Amino acid sequence: MSAVAAKPQAGGAINPTAMVVGIILTLIFLAICYYFSPTLGMTALIGVVVGGVLIGFGTHFVPVGGAPAAMGQAPGIATGVAMLAAGAGLAGLFGGAWAAEQGIVIAVITGGIGGGMLMAITCMMVNFIYVFGMGIPSASGKVAKDPITGDTQAEFKSQGTEGHGLPFISFVGGVIGGLLGGAGGTLIYMSLLNLYEAALPGIMNVTAAQVMPIAVSTAGIFAVGLFLVNAVLTAYNITGTIEGPHDPKFKRWPRSIVASACASALCGLVAVLIVVPLPI
Amino acid sequence: MSVKVEVIEGGVPHNTILIAGVVSTLLCIYLTYLNVITGTEMFSFFGGLAVVAALIWGSHTIKVLCSYGIGTGVPSAGMIAFGSGVIAMLLATRVSNILLAPIVALILAAIIGFVLGYVANNVLNMKIPAMVSALTEMAVVGALSLMGFAALITGTFGFSGLTTGTVSMFGISLLTHTNSFIGGCLIAVAFLLGAIAIQHPFNACLGPGWTQDRMLMLTAECGFLSMIVAAVMSFALISTGSALISLIVAIIGWAYTYKEYMALSKRDAHSWLDSKPIPEVEGQ
Repeated sequence: MSAVAAKPQAGGAINPTAMVVGIILTLIFLAICYYFSPTLGMTALIGVVVGGVLIGFGTHFVPVGGAPAAMGQAPGIATGVAMLAAGAGLAGLFGGAWAAEQGIVIAVITGGIGGGMLMAITCMMVNFIYVFGMGIPSASGKVAKDPITGDTQAEFKSQGTEGHGLPFISFVGGVIGGLLGGAGGTLIYMSLLNLYEAALPGIMNVTAAQVMPIAVSTAGIFAVGLFLVNAVLTAYNITGTIEGPHDPKFKRWPRSIVASACASALCGLVAVLIVVPLPI
Repeated sequence: MSVKVEVIEGGVPHNTILIAGVVSTLLCIYLTYLNVITGTEMFSFFGGLAVVAALIWGSHTIKVLCSYGIGTGVPSAGMIAFGSGVIAMLLATRVSNILLAPIVALILAAIIGFVLGYVANNVLNMKIPAMVSALTEMAVVGALSLMGFAALITGTFGFSGLTTGTVSMFGISLLTHTNSFIGGCLIAVAFLLGAIAIQHPFNACLGPGWTQDRMLMLTAECGFLSMIVAAVMSFALISTGSALISLIVAIIGWAYTYKEYMALSKRDAHSWLDSKPIPEVEGQ
């Protein structure tokens, strides 16, 4: 096969054995955490796993166009899955971190709105550039009619392309994806922050006020690390471009949920173990 | 099922680079322990050399992985390397015997990378032969590079050293947690300095004209460029003289690798022209 024809073919098939192994691994990591830190650590780890799953699921909504979109040959935002997910999630995380003192519920909602707003602004500016800069209309190549507005797509689609621009459904998908990603990222940060604020003073023999910069910084860098791991795994699930919730690739989300839960449980476990007295 | 679109031809085999990378990175990180033995901070620059060694190994691993069409772009590989690496590195610094920290980071990162590789290959059905080994290696690269950055900036790689700094007020030196590698969130800057340096070389050099020595020289150049920035940051945490040594080493390394990289680029280019501004022709 030539290099041109060698498109990534991960396929939509689900490998049942691997899915079961993934779920069992997740449960094992949760059990190890319960053994070391049954109350504080376990609460934090569950928050991390839920946040990771939200990120993995939310990323499927985001219209990712990649290089073809930059040339106006595919719909979506012209960059990779990992970059978009990281952008939406980190914007949400920064938004949520400002509201950290208001409690976990308000912080998570604020984070979600932060991520959603970033995606809304990105999608709008992308469409501005497509329509007024490149002179192309928005048309989806995957569906005949927009599922929300009912607008027909085929008349606007150029021959030889998979569609172009950012149809309404993709815009809505992008905002939903940003909401879920931002909320997930903030949930991870808040779970770890609460754990470190409670446990680090005892381990380092310092006061709660002195430990704040370390708790914030450690929770933040762990949240960023976990976010990137989940975003890249979701990118591997999507392989390339996705138009939004109406794309056939969207049906692959169950795989991503198991993968994100397993990866978040392992990385979250390591993050929790930092506050557990180690044998070595 | 993916199809491999490029074949590695010629050059040093990947396993040689892997072994050389592990050994030299660990050696350089341990050489920073001379700081503790001699009671100075002069040997911090070995942390930067560890970063360069790890990055060279890591960028070749990215080349091995991304030779298969993974369809997500090369930068994602650098992001997952440091995303999983930072988690392993932070826990490893917590071990009570500081000399075990780099080894623990290596083992822990390998475990995390292996599980991520399994998840990507089987649960997500990527079915790429090099996936598990490449993600394992990259998590280790991420963890060891961050440990190298930590050693370069603070002179140590233990949790207490990374979270505690001193601030001098009215001539009295006070302990503080804000003025430290983790508390001041210098780790976030180190994270992205490494993540960008590891993904850029293959992203820039890939294609039919790819040559191994040119890509690895570009990696070394990116590594030393990151080391310059990290050495400047280290002025805040270690003595001026020691930070100056790191900065001079980084600048010399960068200048040398940049010169070599330009020479290799000209060697691989079909032809080049040292162009000058368009001359103004009079009388026409």
